[in-house]
Amino acid sequence: MGALQRYMMRYWQLYAMLACPIAFFIVFKYIPMYGVTIAFKDFNFFQGIMKSKWVGLETFREIFRMKDFYTSVRNTFMLNFLDLIFSFPAPIILAIMLNEVRVVWFKKISQTILYLPHFISWIIIGGIVYQVFATHSGLVNEVLRIVGIHAIPFLSDKHYWLFTYLVIGIWQSAGWGTIIYLAALTGINKELYEAAEVDGASRLKKIRYITLPGMKPTIITLLILKMGEMVHIGFDRPFVIGNIMVREYSEVISTFVYRMGLQSGNYSIATAVGLFQAVIGLFFVIAANYISKKTTDQGII
Amino acid sequence: MKKKALKKLSVSVISVIAAVSLIAGCSSSGSSSKQPVQSDAGAGTTTPATAKKDPVTIKVEVFDRGNSPAGMTVTNNEQTKFVKENFTAQTNINVEYIPVPRSQEVEKLNILMASGDAPDIVFTYDMNTVYKYVQQGGLTELSEVIDKYGPDLKAFLGKETLDTGIFDKGQYAIPAKRVYLGKYSSMIRQDWLDKLSLPLPKTTDEVYNVLKAFKEKDPGGLGAKNIPLGFTLTPASYEPIIWSFLKQGTEEEQYTLTQQVSHENMLLMPGHKEAVQFLNKLYNEGLMSPDFSLDKDRKKLSQDITNGKVGMYSEDAGNSYFNDGDIDVLAKNIASAKLTPIDPYTNEEGKHAKPAYASTGIYIIVPKNSKHAAEAVQYLNWMAQKDPMFTLRFGVEGQNYTMVDGLPQLKDDEATKNRLYNAGDMIMISNGTDFGSLDKNLAGMALTYSKPYRDESKVALMNGMQDGIKPVRFDHPLASEAKYGKSLSDKYEEILVKAIMAKTGDFNKVYDDGVKDYMASGGQEVLKERQEAYQAMKN
Amino acid sequence: MGTRTKYGLLDVINLAILFVFLLLCLIPFFHIIAISLSSNAPIMSGKVTIFPMELNFDAYTTVIHDSTMVRSLGFTVLLTLLYTVLCMIMTIIAAYPLTKTRLKGRKFFMYLIVFTMFFGGGIIPDYILVKELHLLDSIWSLVLPSLVNPFYLIIMISFFNSLPAGLEESAEIDGSTFVGILWRIILPLSMPILATLSLFYAVNRWNGFSDTLYYITNPDLYPLQLKLYQLIINSSSPELQLQEGANVAQVMPESLKAASIMFATIPILVVYPWLQRYFVSGIMLGSVKG
Repeated sequence: MGALQRYMMRYWQLYAMLACPIAFFIVFKYIPMYGVTIAFKDFNFFQGIMKSKWVGLETFREIFRMKDFYTSVRNTFMLNFLDLIFSFPAPIILAIMLNEVRVVWFKKISQTILYLPHFISWIIIGGIVYQVFATHSGLVNEVLRIVGIHAIPFLSDKHYWLFTYLVIGIWQSAGWGTIIYLAALTGINKELYEAAEVDGASRLKKIRYITLPGMKPTIITLLILKMGEMVHIGFDRPFVIGNIMVREYSEVISTFVYRMGLQSGNYSIATAVGLFQAVIGLFFVIAANYISKKTTDQGII
Repeated sequence: MKKKALKKLSVSVISVIAAVSLIAGCSSSGSSSKQPVQSDAGAGTTTPATAKKDPVTIKVEVFDRGNSPAGMTVTNNEQTKFVKENFTAQTNINVEYIPVPRSQEVEKLNILMASGDAPDIVFTYDMNTVYKYVQQGGLTELSEVIDKYGPDLKAFLGKETLDTGIFDKGQYAIPAKRVYLGKYSSMIRQDWLDKLSLPLPKTTDEVYNVLKAFKEKDPGGLGAKNIPLGFTLTPASYEPIIWSFLKQGTEEEQYTLTQQVSHENMLLMPGHKEAVQFLNKLYNEGLMSPDFSLDKDRKKLSQDITNGKVGMYSEDAGNSYFNDGDIDVLAKNIASAKLTPIDPYTNEEGKHAKPAYASTGIYIIVPKNSKHAAEAVQYLNWMAQKDPMFTLRFGVEGQNYTMVDGLPQLKDDEATKNRLYNAGDMIMISNGTDFGSLDKNLAGMALTYSKPYRDESKVALMNGMQDGIKPVRFDHPLASEAKYGKSLSDKYEEILVKAIMAKTGDFNKVYDDGVKDYMASGGQEVLKERQEAYQAMKN
Repeated sequence: MGTRTKYGLLDVINLAILFVFLLLCLIPFFHIIAISLSSNAPIMSGKVTIFPMELNFDAYTTVIHDSTMVRSLGFTVLLTLLYTVLCMIMTIIAAYPLTKTRLKGRKFFMYLIVFTMFFGGGIIPDYILVKELHLLDSIWSLVLPSLVNPFYLIIMISFFNSLPAGLEESAEIDGSTFVGILWRIILPLSMPILATLSLFYAVNRWNGFSDTLYYITNPDLYPLQLKLYQLIINSSSPELQLQEGANVAQVMPESLKAASIMFATIPILVVYPWLQRYFVSGIMLGSVKG
C-alpha cells in the first residue's frame, strides 16, 4: 500500500498526461471498431452495421477464391520489398549527402527544393510521367533516339515498369524523407566530428562512425514501422503510374479493394481485406520489434 | 537561447488556440443554426394543402465539379436564387442543396445512405448502385406521388423513359431524359485528302486505304511523327471500328452475348475478334497512335490533333468543336488544316452501325427515410414545366439570351456564363435540352460550340446518331454484372491492348488467352445469368 | 564547424549529384508554373515545357479575385494551425510518459496505441461517430478524429529515448516534477523533432482531403485541397459532359488549374524554410550540460 502510494505520488502526473491521448484513442479509434464486423456480415446500407445479417466467413471465402486477390497480395509484397531495398535507404543517403555539404546557403536551399515533389499531387505526376516516359513520344526516349539507342518501354513493359515505379517513388519521397533524418543529425554532438578531425579520420570514416550511428535510432524506428506496412500500399502511386499493359505487376491490394469493394459499394469485401492486412501488419511489426530488441536492444514498444 | 525560442513558440501557440477556438465556435454555431429548419417539417407528406401552409425544406443533391465561377458555390448562385424566387415562392417549399463532389459521387452517396443522412433527392449515373439500394429496401416507391404531384414531370419524361426507372416492378427511380442519343463521330483531315486527291472514305476498307496513303505519302510532311489514325484507350476510339465488324446476330444473341460492364461490351459477339485483328494490323503497320495504351484521358490525342499530326480519329460526337477545343487550336497552329466530320465505318449490311445511348440519363431516387417524397416530386415537376426549365437552362431573355428562329442565342458575356455554369446539373431531369424537334435540338447543341464551325458540328452530331443501336436491356440489372462489372471492363481493355499490340503471328494466341481469362474472371457468370434472364423473359 | 578542410573530389561529386537531383525536383514545378502563365492553345498542343508561352497572368487574376478561393485559403490556414497545435500537444503528452520504462501499464498503453495503427472501423462507423458527436460540417470534424498519429508518436518516443538519460536523472534528484522536466529539459532539447513533426502534421492536414469529402457539405468550409482536387480530377472535362449529355460546357482551362495548384501549394511550402532554423542551429548536447 505504502509502495503504491509512493509510486502514485511520483507518477500521477504521467497518468494525467496520458489521460487525454488515451481518451482520444478510445473514442475515435476503438468505438468505431465495431465496424470490423462488416467483414463477417452481408452489409445492408439501410439496416446498418449492427442489424445486417451475419454471414460468417463467407466474404473471406469469396475473396480467397479470386485469382486477382493473390496477384494483388503478391504485387503488394513485391513492390514494398523493392521499396524497402531502394526507396528506404534513399533519404538516408540523401541526408548524409546534405550533411556533407558545407556551403550553408546551398544546403538550406537544397533541402527546400528536394521536398518539392512531395507536394505535387499524383494526378499531376501521372500526366508528367506519361510525357517523360512514354515509349514513342516520351522525352527520355526522344533523347535516347537522338543518341541512337532503341526506345525503352518504361511504362508498358512490366520489368521496366518496376524500374520506373521505383525511380518515381524515390524522386517523389526521398527529399521529404530526409527531413526526419536531418532532425536526427542535429542531435549529434559536434565535438565528435572535431575530435575525429584531430585524429585525422577521413570523410567516409566520419560518416561510418559518427553520422550513421547518430541516425541509427531513427533508422531502426522507421524500419520497424515500415515492416508493419509491408502489406499496406498507397493507392495513388501504383494506380497513377500503372496502366493496362503492366496490370500483372501494378494491381495491388489498394487498387483491388478500390475496384472490388469501394467503387461498387461492397463494404464487406473492403473491410475483410482490411482485416486481413491488419492481422499481417500487426504480426510483422511485432516480429520486427522483437528481432530488433534482440539484436540492437532498441524497439518501438 | 533555446528556451526563448520555445517560450516564443508557446506564446504564439496559445494565442492561436484562443483565436481558433473563437472562430471555430462561431462557425459551428453558424452551421447549427440551420438545423431547426428541417426538424419542424415532418408532416409534409400528408396532404398538399398542409405542405403549402407550412414552410418545408427539402434537401437536394447537387454535383460539385469544382468549376464554380469566382465568388459562387453550387449551393449559392443565380440558379439557386431563381429556385427560391420562383419555386419556393409558389409552393412554400425551401430547397437546400447538398453538394456532392462529382468524381466521388458514388462513394459519398454510399456514406450518406449508410448513415441515414441522405438528402431527399439524390441521383447517380450508376444503375447498379440504384439497384443495390432497391434490393436492400432503401428507396421510396414513387408511382403514387408521381401520379399525384408530377403530371408535368410525367408528360416531360414520357413513358419509355419513366419505365426504365422501374426496378423489381416498382418505380424506385425517376430517370432523366436523355435528349441526344448519339455517341461517337469521326473526323478526318480534308486538306490531307485533297493533297492526295482522295475522296472521303465510305467504308472500313476505304478507311484502311486512306490511312495507308496518309502513312506512305505523308501529306503533312511529318516523317516519323505522322499518325494516320489517332487512337486512345477509350471506347470513343475503339467502339466505332469494332462495331463495324460485328455481325448482326439474332435477338437471343444480342441479349445473351453482350455484357453491360461499365460500357456495352461486345467481346462475345461474332465479328469481335476480326475487329481486333484489324486494329492489330493497323498497329503493326504503324497506322495508329503508338502509345495509345497509355493515353487514358485523351490528352495526348488532343496534343497530336492540334499539332496537325493526326489524319483521322473518332471521338465523343462533337468533342472537337468546343470553344478553344481541338479544331480551334488546330486552326491556330496550322492555318491550312481542315477537319471534316465523316461517318465511314460500315458493317456487312452496309450500315454505319455504332452504339447509341439509351434514352435514360441520370437516375433520380428518393431514400426511404425521406419524409418529403411528395415535395421532392413537386420540385421535379416544377422543373419539368416549360418556363422554369427554360430559365434554368438559358437564363433571362434579354439579359442572357435573345430568341432567333425559335432558338435562344446565348450572349457571350461573363454574366451569362456564370449564371449557367451548372445549368446541366441543376436540371437533373433532363440530360440535354429538348426543343421539340431533332433539327432544333441539333441546332441547340451546336450553339454551345465554337462559332465558325456550328453548321459543320451539326453534321458530326448527325453522324453520331446514324444507324445508332440502343443497348438491349432486361427489365432489371443483373447481379453478376453489378459484381464483376468494373473488373471485367478492365479485363476487356487488357485484351484489347495486348491483342492490338501483339505481333501478327501471336495475335490468335494472345486474343484467345485474353478471352479465356475474361471468362474465368466473371464473364462466364454474366453469360450464364444473361442466358437465364433471356429464357425467363421469353417464357 | 570544421570548415578548414579543403574542398576535395568527394565534395565535387556530392555537389554534382545533389545538383542533378535538385534539377529533377525543380523541373516539374517549373512546368506547372509555366502552364499557369500560358494561354490555352500552346498548352493543349503540349508545347509548354518549362517556359510559359503567350505569357499572361489571367489565371492568377481569376484565382485571386475568387472570393471563395481566398476564403478557402483562410479556412485552410486556420484549420492547419489549429490541427497542428492540438496534435503536437497531444503527441507530446502521450509520448513523454511512454518513455518511462518504470511506468506501470506502459506496455499496455503502447499495444493499445499500436493496435490502432492496423485496425480501424472503416469509413462508415467513423462517419456515424462524427455525426453522433455533432461534428459534421464543423472545423472539429477535420481535427478531432486524427489528433494523434501513432507513427509520429512512436517517432517522438524514439527521439525522447535517444536523449541522454543523465540530464533527466539529475533533475529528478533535484526534485523536479515530470511536468517540469518535460517543459524545462526535454522540450528545449527536442526542437528539431518538434519542428519536424509539426511540419508533418501541418502538411498532412493541408494536403489531406478525403475526410473533408465526407464530413463537410458546407462549401464555405471547403479546404483548398478539396476544391483543388475537383479542379484537377477534371470532373468537368468535355468528354464527361458529352457522355453525360449535358450541353452547356463550362470547362476549366488548364492554366487555371495550374494557377490554383500554385495558389494552394505555396503557402505550405514556405513553412519548411521557416522551420529550418530549428534544424540548422541544432543543439550541441555538450554545451547544454553546463
